[in-house]
Amino acid sequence: MTEPSATAPRILVIDDEPQIRRFLDISLRAQGYSVEMADTGQGGLEALATHGADLVILDLGLPDRDGQQVLRELRQWSTVPVILLTVRSHEAEKVAGLDGGANDYVTKPFSAPELMARVRALLRTRVVATDAPPVFDDGHLHVDLVRREVTLAGHPVALARKEYALLALLVQHAGRVVTQPQILRELWGPTHEGDTHYLRILVGKVRQKLGDDAASPRWIATEPGVGLRFIG
Amino acid sequence: MTDSSRERQADALVGELQRQGAGRLTIFLGAAPGVGKTYTMLARVRELRRTGTDAVAGIVETHGRSETAALLDGLEVVPRRRIKYTPLTGAPAGGAGHTLEELDLDALLARAPALAVIDELAHRNVPGSRHERRWQDVIELLDAGIDVYTTINIQHLESLNDVVHRITGVRVSETVPDAVFDRLRDIVLVDLPPRELIERLHQGKVYVPEQAAHALQAFFSPSNLTALRELAMQTAADRVDSDLREAQAARGLPGVPVRRGVMVAIDGRGSSEYLVRVARRLAERRDAPWTVVTVQSGDAPEEARQRELDRAFALARRLGGDAVVLHGNNIVDSLLDHASRSGASAIVLGRTRERPLARMFNRTLTQQLIQRGAHYELTIVSTPEARARSRRSWRATGSLLSRSDATLALAAAAGATALAWVAERWIELDDLSLIFIVAVVLVAARTRMTAAVIAAVSCFFAYNFFFIEPRFTLMIGARQGAITVVLFLVAALVAGRLASKLRMQVLALRAANSHATALQTLGRQLSTAGDVDAVLQAGRDALRRALDADAMLQAGEHTLHAHALDEKDRAAADWAMRHRQPSGRYTDTLAGSDWWFLPLVLGERETGVVGLRMPDGAARLGAEQRRLAEAMTEDIAQALARARLVADLEDARVGNETERLRSALLSSVSHDLRSPLASIIGAASSLDHYGQAMDEPDRRGLLETIRVEGERLDRYIQNLLDMTRLGHGGLTLNRDWIGVDELIGSAVTRLQRYEPQARFDVTIEPGLAPIWVHPALVEQALFNVLENAAKFSPPGDAVAVDARMIDTRLDKDALRIDVRDRGPGIPEDERRRIFDMFYSVERGDRGRQGTGLGLAITQGMIGAHGGSVEALPGLDGRGTTIRITLPRVEP
Repeated sequence: MTEPSATAPRILVIDDEPQIRRFLDISLRAQGYSVEMADTGQGGLEALATHGADLVILDLGLPDRDGQQVLRELRQWSTVPVILLTVRSHEAEKVAGLDGGANDYVTKPFSAPELMARVRALLRTRVVATDAPPVFDDGHLHVDLVRREVTLAGHPVALARKEYALLALLVQHAGRVVTQPQILRELWGPTHEGDTHYLRILVGKVRQKLGDDAASPRWIATEPGVGLRFIG
Repeated sequence: MTDSSRERQADALVGELQRQGAGRLTIFLGAAPGVGKTYTMLARVRELRRTGTDAVAGIVETHGRSETAALLDGLEVVPRRRIKYTPLTGAPAGGAGHTLEELDLDALLARAPALAVIDELAHRNVPGSRHERRWQDVIELLDAGIDVYTTINIQHLESLNDVVHRITGVRVSETVPDAVFDRLRDIVLVDLPPRELIERLHQGKVYVPEQAAHALQAFFSPSNLTALRELAMQTAADRVDSDLREAQAARGLPGVPVRRGVMVAIDGRGSSEYLVRVARRLAERRDAPWTVVTVQSGDAPEEARQRELDRAFALARRLGGDAVVLHGNNIVDSLLDHASRSGASAIVLGRTRERPLARMFNRTLTQQLIQRGAHYELTIVSTPEARARSRRSWRATGSLLSRSDATLALAAAAGATALAWVAERWIELDDLSLIFIVAVVLVAARTRMTAAVIAAVSCFFAYNFFFIEPRFTLMIGARQGAITVVLFLVAALVAGRLASKLRMQVLALRAANSHATALQTLGRQLSTAGDVDAVLQAGRDALRRALDADAMLQAGEHTLHAHALDEKDRAAADWAMRHRQPSGRYTDTLAGSDWWFLPLVLGERETGVVGLRMPDGAARLGAEQRRLAEAMTEDIAQALARARLVADLEDARVGNETERLRSALLSSVSHDLRSPLASIIGAASSLDHYGQAMDEPDRRGLLETIRVEGERLDRYIQNLLDMTRLGHGGLTLNRDWIGVDELIGSAVTRLQRYEPQARFDVTIEPGLAPIWVHPALVEQALFNVLENAAKFSPPGDAVAVDARMIDTRLDKDALRIDVRDRGPGIPEDERRRIFDMFYSVERGDRGRQGTGLGLAITQGMIGAHGGSVEALPGLDGRGTTIRITLPRVEP
């Protein structure tokens, strides 16, 4: 439905707070994006349907409809990347949103750089998904998803099958959070959604092999109650 | 002195003073016209004049009696006023007008004597006089300081008008309000026996108004006159007593009423209700409180007697008296004891049954009371039964002896005889008598006196017949033997009586004891019952145990076992609550219910109810059971009141605590919310207006301020929200597996976003397994602690975080996380209080930092996981260590 444009990516902001809209408008435009606004869920859906967008920033606390519902409806006919604006204490809300089709989230109140990083990550993935093979390399860690190779400072890292699957999943969603249920589903199938204990062991092993410390993570960060995020 | 008695004293003094200032009123009261009131009054006045009192006759009616007129001799009489009277309706009496004579009030006032004699206080003045009634004239005279002597008949008292009408059939229209009597100094009862009065009537010496002439016969009947006379005497006595009481009150003496309580003793052997009514009449006449008592000296009395007692008690309560059951071995002792304790001055008895033997020894109840109750007024009431009985010849025993007792007595005698017959081989003749004595004592211990007597006599005869020479005759041979035998009889009787008395004592004690034990048990259970429901439960259990009855209770909204009631039971229960009276079975109200309801008085306006259903639908309720139930109900009501008070106290305490927190919250919000906002608004407005003039670093500085303060505000609001979640007691933990390193990492990362310069030194025990907790909460708890430590840590110094498993004493392991800073530290006495809400350690130079909520939240969240947080001195005594302990939990 949406066409990737060579010109500035179009971002649709759906939020009922005028000040937030203003701040996002200014900040996004400063980054070179073109911005469209909607202040209701219904209005947002219509705008998306009519003009399309490259990314949607969706506030969950909308006046006319439940944000999750808007997201679900949106997902029925669009694959546009969606960033949710959530409230901090509602982890369940975040997980539900991410499972419901959102790609990432920021918690209110958020700082502009935080949001921009996520926007960039999503837009990049978009582009990446259609062209180059997925590879992550930050100079130290190298992950090749096609050749299924992981090296650390040039030395290969021996990962078990599940360990690699986890790392690959995270890298594929680099910069974005992957919810726990999603990880479990991907790795073990729908029947093992509750097996978080094993997941913890697995993550621990991966970190260990990569030399990453959860207490001060370099690549794999845990968002307690939500999931994991590859922050490389 | 209490406040009310002080008031009474004041009133009495005022009353006396008032009376002293004004003139004093002396009333000569008679039962009927013609008793000689005027005569007596004038005689008195004559006496007074002889001693020099300035007495003047205002108006005196002699009605042509020469003796009365003679007394007027020498007395100054103020001439009457002549008033022309024209009747308004009907034909004028005697022509166009009429000249009538009336008291000349003004002349009398002008004359101002020391004493004025005014006859017939109730007289209605002739129209044209100043006042309508003569008593009003008298009041005016009294107010002017003139003493007054006056006469009045009992039927002229307004409050007695109805009574008089009932007695005589005559309604008197000229009445005097009782208030006039309040000015009374003296009352003189002029009395004449009815017969004499009637004589005088026939002799024409009594003045009777023409209108009453036709009713003469009816009015002057002996019974009427007697009744009126009694009425007059009572009224006079009333006045005397109230004066006495007032005088005593004025002097501050506790009012010793002339009349004290009446106590009537009944035994349920007939005429009990009659006695109750008599007692009530007696008490009413004296305006005294009255009590009905009965003495139980042994086992419960049998059916018929008990029923009569119950009826009598119920009647007494209905009529407004008290009912008491006394326990004691000796009836006279119990009665006198109770009389002295309850302040009775009169004891009423019915005629006791004939007991000539006892009378011989001066031992009848009446005789004993006469001897020992010298302080009391004793009234022996003749009952219809007594009268009937005295007509019958004395026949034995009836309720004195039951068949089983008699059988036992005879059997014992027979048994003793047999035993003695056998034992004769080894025991002396004299000693054989002891076997019989033992038999008598045994019988006495198990039955009553009469059976013991029968046993003694039978044993005597048996002993005589079978063992004393000559055998098989009732003759006694040797004289010595005769004495022995007679002594034996005496010994047997005495032993029997003693044993019987002892038995009665034991039974009485046992009854009292079980009553007391039941109450004691209830008391113990109630004292440990914490809240209303516990009290109700304890009460129900105790009632069921003590009375063997099914029980339900209701107090306000709390009910227990109330579902057992059906419609009509419910109605009876509601009635009992509304009227604060017992209802249901065994009472007069809604007696069709299976339940007996007692009100539970919980307060001025609040009443609960206790319902009892006796086993097997017992048709009757024993007085003992009733008293026990009532006593227990009272205890339960008190315990409920106490539970209520405790709950109120708790509410008050909680209310205070809530209030304290609320004010702390408000002050915190007002400061901690406003401060960041102040910075933000200040910085932003500054940039807005003066940004152009600023240089780059300054502008960046302001922008940073805005950002930092905004984040601070956000954290504060989050703290408040967390506190709300904790506070509402509904912190549901959604536990999940999470690594300790992950938690610490997330908290550190997050904190470093706000405080980029904060340094952390994290040590995690290798191989630390994931823990089963609510991840976000524990992370937040950690975050707060880290934030606190970073705040107080000297710049550049790292905060040490250490996580390891430890073994607790409870044989379970726990996770321990220590967060150490090398800051100023926390004084020992504050180490507990830092976890209180809104508490922050005062720092002189840096002022208040933080909201005081962070650590409280940490404690709440860790506590919700079953863990604990504490503050300890830091390493080497420098700084602070916050220690978090989380017990290991498996899903």
